[in-house]
Amino acid sequence: MVQSNVPQPTVEHRQELASTLGVGGPATGERLTVDRLREAVDDDPDEVFTSIGETIRTGLSGRLDAELLGEERSRMVEQLSRTSEVRAAGIPAGETGPAVLYRGLVEPAWRVYHHLAAVGFFEGIEENLPSFTPDHIEGTARELVQARPLSAALAECGFDERERMALMLNVANNDTRLSRWTPTREIPEGVEFDVEYVPPLHRRAMGGALLWIRALDDHLWRKEILITDDILDDAHWDTKAMLGGLYLMATAAHDVAAGEDGSLTDAQLTATLTASTAVMIVNQEELMQDVFWITEEKRKPSEASGREEELPWQ
Amino acid sequence: MAIEDDKAIRAASDTVVEETELGYQVFNAPDESVLHQTDTDRIPRYDVTQEMLDESGEDEESWLMFSKNYEAHRYTPCETITKDNVGELELEYTMEVGANSSMEGSPVIVPGDPPVMYQTNGPSHVKAIDPREGDVLWSYTFAAPDDAVLCCDDNNRGVAVWRDKIYLTTLDSGVQALNRYTGEEEWYASTADHEEGYSATWAPIVWKGMLFTGSAGGEFGVRGFHCAYNAETGEELWRLENCPEEEYVGESIEQSGGTNWMTATFDPERELLYYNVGNPSPDFNGTVRPGPNKNTCSTLCVDPHDGEIRWAHQESAHDIWDYDSASQRMIIRDLDIDHLDYTGDVVYNGGKTSWTYTMEPETGKLLVRGQPMTQQINMMTMVPHVEEERDYVMLPGLLGGHDWQPPTYCPETGLAYHKTLNTPHEIYWRNEEYKPGEKFWGGIVDVEPDEELVPDEYNGHISAIVAVDPATGKVEWRDWIDSDRYLWGGTMSTASGLLFAGTQNGDVIAYDGETGERLWEYDVSNKAVSGDPVSWYDPGAEKQYIAIQVGGSGFVGRGPRGDQLVVFSLSA
Repeated sequence: MVQSNVPQPTVEHRQELASTLGVGGPATGERLTVDRLREAVDDDPDEVFTSIGETIRTGLSGRLDAELLGEERSRMVEQLSRTSEVRAAGIPAGETGPAVLYRGLVEPAWRVYHHLAAVGFFEGIEENLPSFTPDHIEGTARELVQARPLSAALAECGFDERERMALMLNVANNDTRLSRWTPTREIPEGVEFDVEYVPPLHRRAMGGALLWIRALDDHLWRKEILITDDILDDAHWDTKAMLGGLYLMATAAHDVAAGEDGSLTDAQLTATLTASTAVMIVNQEELMQDVFWITEEKRKPSEASGREEELPWQ
Repeated sequence: MAIEDDKAIRAASDTVVEETELGYQVFNAPDESVLHQTDTDRIPRYDVTQEMLDESGEDEESWLMFSKNYEAHRYTPCETITKDNVGELELEYTMEVGANSSMEGSPVIVPGDPPVMYQTNGPSHVKAIDPREGDVLWSYTFAAPDDAVLCCDDNNRGVAVWRDKIYLTTLDSGVQALNRYTGEEEWYASTADHEEGYSATWAPIVWKGMLFTGSAGGEFGVRGFHCAYNAETGEELWRLENCPEEEYVGESIEQSGGTNWMTATFDPERELLYYNVGNPSPDFNGTVRPGPNKNTCSTLCVDPHDGEIRWAHQESAHDIWDYDSASQRMIIRDLDIDHLDYTGDVVYNGGKTSWTYTMEPETGKLLVRGQPMTQQINMMTMVPHVEEERDYVMLPGLLGGHDWQPPTYCPETGLAYHKTLNTPHEIYWRNEEYKPGEKFWGGIVDVEPDEELVPDEYNGHISAIVAVDPATGKVEWRDWIDSDRYLWGGTMSTASGLLFAGTQNGDVIAYDGETGERLWEYDVSNKAVSGDPVSWYDPGAEKQYIAIQVGGSGFVGRGPRGDQLVVFSLSA
């Protein structure tokens, strides 16, 4: 049985989510599920979200390739179904370099990313989406709870109820963390880089997620002496979560490309774009901390030198 | 001749290095480079051949490149000075070099009658010296422009020598070739535009007529590179951008950082270059440069013939603490790693992370990650945002661990010796205005945090000299060194099992390399010893000499400036 370190939401996390959505917290012993939340949340679409979604659709009209996005979405689902298999393989094999494991999972997502970048998709959505304010995060969480098509899509991709809740918590409970990721247009002139060298926020989120997953094969192979099963379990969940975020982004883009055949409301489109970005940001940072920043406490113990606690610091 | 009569030394002395809002800048440098010849006829006329460079590690009489041999061991096979007689080591002379400037670096010694020492210091100043007498034979000061910006000081760490030339990197990101007999200029090449933030401070290396040099400016939003030049003509042969475009999101590659600001190491058997790669840009705000930021904070292995990357080993993925990989790599031959059943060559280095890394040379696979050389507290933790009104003190601080200080490897003891820092720094993140050629640190670092913020478990020792077994990663011994200054400069080992190092308190120490026992100490100055010891045997004088540069360096914890070259000797 493949292990996956899906975060277990604490009572505090669940209370925080319920509070964000303005619904009563779960009773003692009661599990908070997306379905329960849906029953409790006001289902009127958010007018601001609707307006943003409409503007985004109009702005991107005719630019996106529905056929490409549809095909790659299907391939992304296939790859998502392989994450357990990749985890079971453990460290990529190879004498002189790593075999392809994690890199294979993101091939279709890369094709989506390159298409979106080529048509100016990221600039188009950054122009209209607000930054990660608490209000925007709350609205996103509400819309996500209501968006049955998204819940169904994630279920089809292999996200069980607990995993879908974990993704929801990533979005809803991280406004402070997400606020560090400033939309490029909001970086004051002359800050950090010449701003022309800072890609749009949503491109940074998507590109970053892809780069982190792509780096895993080499990282795990090259640093095999440090890698524990726990690190591999973290890599599995963080990767799967990012693939979920990537899939949501592809879903949103495909919905825009589909025009009138799209299944998302304008408000849901806004929420999907925000949520996918949030999931990709949170989980790339989680992967970085769980799998790449291998501290002395986290490493597989060395057969030769023992652990740090054996060192005489005084 | 008094140094004030030497117009090149005077030009260097008159140059003022000041910390400005942009970084360090040099002012009052000469408009044109200045050469002063005193006694050039004393320099023996013969080519430093490739064969000499290949065999430099085994040669007692020379120190022909920054770290003695291509493998960067900083180890002399000379055994005149031993554990038994090191107490008799005497001061031969001290010499004022005449600069109010950074005193990092390693003199180069070309053997002969007399030997010739090529000694450098900031700002882009070099001398030819008869080291028997302490006489300057010629001196040269490069005309450093005042719009060159430097993160940390106006360092120059030494020259490369080949045939009839020496090669000096210059603060404006150039390479200046000089005739080694006369000091006259042969060719100059600009490796990058200093107005964009590039600079150069390290010693290049030369192999088979190719000169290899890197890049600095990682705090100024540059894109790091390494490049090769025809050492005879100055023609550029290839240029490699250290960070691959496909590993960066969109235009963030344009200011990726990833410079390499120390001397490369070369494996003549495999014909491969290995070098350190620095921090990503901006230093602390990673959200504008998502992903692991390959190949920053890494060891890079490169084909010297075409500049193609063979492999990279990253020490700090998506670094947000300025843990650039700074020290020179070493190649250690035929190492037995018993617990892995491995016998073979390895590539080895210490990182700002405070870990040592032992790698397979053809793939870069990590064989051993050593024990931490210093304390690690709050390490590899997300940098708090300034608005969160929380901050933390981390160890290692932004200077490491193991910064640029060149280490040594002694085959007799089987140990590598590192100068390390154990300095707590406070760090948090903010947006900061960026202009081309200016610092754009997205974070704030306080190198003197309030005492109440320093974690209780900090042991209070600011620095240490540490011996590590590269086969196991074990810290075999450690000598904590207390001071209010930072420990810069390198180490050197000898065939008799001695380890030499200067300290920031102005001492030069000889250790028993096996045990860490101090066998000899000499108080040379109240200034910091920021240079690296080098040694040679002079058959004409029948003495083994040790030379080291004395004087502060760096942008923090430097102490007062000094400008001495100190030479010790012991008769055979």
